[in-house]
This record gives sequence, structure tokens and C-alpha cells, in this order.
Amino acid sequence: MRLRIVYLITSLIFIAGLAGCFFILRTSETDTVEIIRDDEVLYRFDLKDSEDRIFKIEYNGSYNLIEISGGRIRVREAGCRDNTCVKMGWLQNSAAIVCLPNHLVIRFSG
Amino acid sequence: MSDRLKRLAELSILTALALIIFVVELQFPSITPIAGVKLGLANIITVYGVYRYKAGETASVLLVRILLGSLFGGNPSAIIYSLSGGALCLSGMLLLKKIIPENRLWVCSVLGAVLHNLGQTAAAYFVMGKAVFLYLPFLTVSGCVAGAITGMCAQLVLMRFRKNGKGGNPNAKTK
Repeated sequence: MRLRIVYLITSLIFIAGLAGCFFILRTSETDTVEIIRDDEVLYRFDLKDSEDRIFKIEYNGSYNLIEISGGRIRVREAGCRDNTCVKMGWLQNSAAIVCLPNHLVIRFSG
Repeated sequence: MSDRLKRLAELSILTALALIIFVVELQFPSITPIAGVKLGLANIITVYGVYRYKAGETASVLLVRILLGSLFGGNPSAIIYSLSGGALCLSGMLLLKKIIPENRLWVCSVLGAVLHNLGQTAAAYFVMGKAVFLYLPFLTVSGCVAGAITGMCAQLVLMRFRKNGKGGNPNAKTK
């Protein structure tokens, strides 16, 4: 009986996870992007109105090079070892671009 | 030869195995760009230990593996994520072991992997703030898949041992 409950909970967790993925992978409806560090908003701008540019955000001797181009945003280069944020490419949906070493988060607001 | 020495030797071999698996897995290119999504093959040893050794013994194998693994892996700053994930995963599996029988071991591993990722996300929350929770659904699904794979590996190993009559703890309940 207790085993049944464990099975049930396991399947529920899996289904909830899948549902969460679909929820987050919806294409975002807003064009407002926030760049956040430690829950503090560093930049907030509308991608549609932004001109193409590349700028650097420094942190503790490391950095992230942010690129805005044709209404899209990505991390072009980073000073960390794993470069996870660079590999994530352009920001497309509600799943944020996260750079753990530099405490940086880029996401659509709302 | 005392039994304690034999056990110590066994645990050392397990730790060495876990470390080798961990370091080898580091060389694999990551499948997805999401940090934290990986197979976690070293978890095979942890799951196996949970069902075959005492709680304290498994915990020390895991702890040594995490400490040395973060040194060999060259990324000591990631150790808080490993530690919090490992602690949650191990305590969860030790509790679940009381409910889940050995021949359904992989279910225990699935829940352990999900708990591991939950622990990592919680640690990341304290470092980064609440944005990291956006990754939790992906980590949950990847944890389920990875946990099932590693769990089945561990189950295979354990069942082989039992079949050959070298199962360690003979009091363990098998269906």
C-alpha cells in the first residue's frame, strides 16, 4: 500500500515536471527583458526598441559580454570556465539565461 | 582478517569507483545547455550503497567522493551544489529504502535524483535569487530519466551479487 503511494507520487512528480517544462517553453509574449543580479534589476529594456549593441557587465574580475541584435539578446562571451550562458544562445522563452559564476540572470519580465 | 577491515577495503574500492565514474563523466560533452542536466552516473554507487551498506558508511563514501571529486573536477566553487544535492538525495533514499524493496530499487533512485536536483536548486537560490526556480521543471524531468537509468544499473549490480550469494546483508528483505 505504501509502495503504491510512492509510485503515485513519483509519477505525479514526473508529470508535474513535464507540465512545468511546457509552461516555461511557451514563447514569451513580452519584449521587455530584465538583466538581474542577486534579485536586483540591473537593466530593463524593450528589445523591440533597442538598437543593436554589445556591452560588458563586470563582476568580481569576471565579465559577461551581452549582445543585442535584431530584437534578440544573448551572452556573446563570458569570463567563466564553463560558458553555459553562451551555449544557451538567444533568449527565446521564459527559461532564463543564467550564469551561475557571475550571478547573472537574463529573462523576459512578466 | 577482521570483518571491519574487509568492510573498510570494500568501501574504499566503492569510493574509488565512484570517483573514477565521476571524473570520466566530466569528460562527456553536456547534452543540453542547461546547467545541472547530466546523467550523474556516480549516483549508481550511492544507490547501491544505500541498499547494501549502513547509512553512515554510504554517507562517508558519498562525502569523500564529493570532496575529492570537486578537487579533481577543477571546480571547487560547485561544491555547495554537490553537497546540498547529495545530502538531500541520500537522506531521502535512506528513508525510501524502508518502503521500496530491493527489486524496485530504481524507483528509489528516481526520487533520489529528483531530490538531488531540488537540493542543488535550493543552494543556487541562496547564491542567485529566485530566478533559478525556472529551471526546476527541466531538472525534475532530467532527474527522473537519469535516476531511472542509474537506478537500473545499480539494481542490475545488486541482483547479480545476490544471485551469486555474495549479497552482504542477508537480512535485507527481497520479494
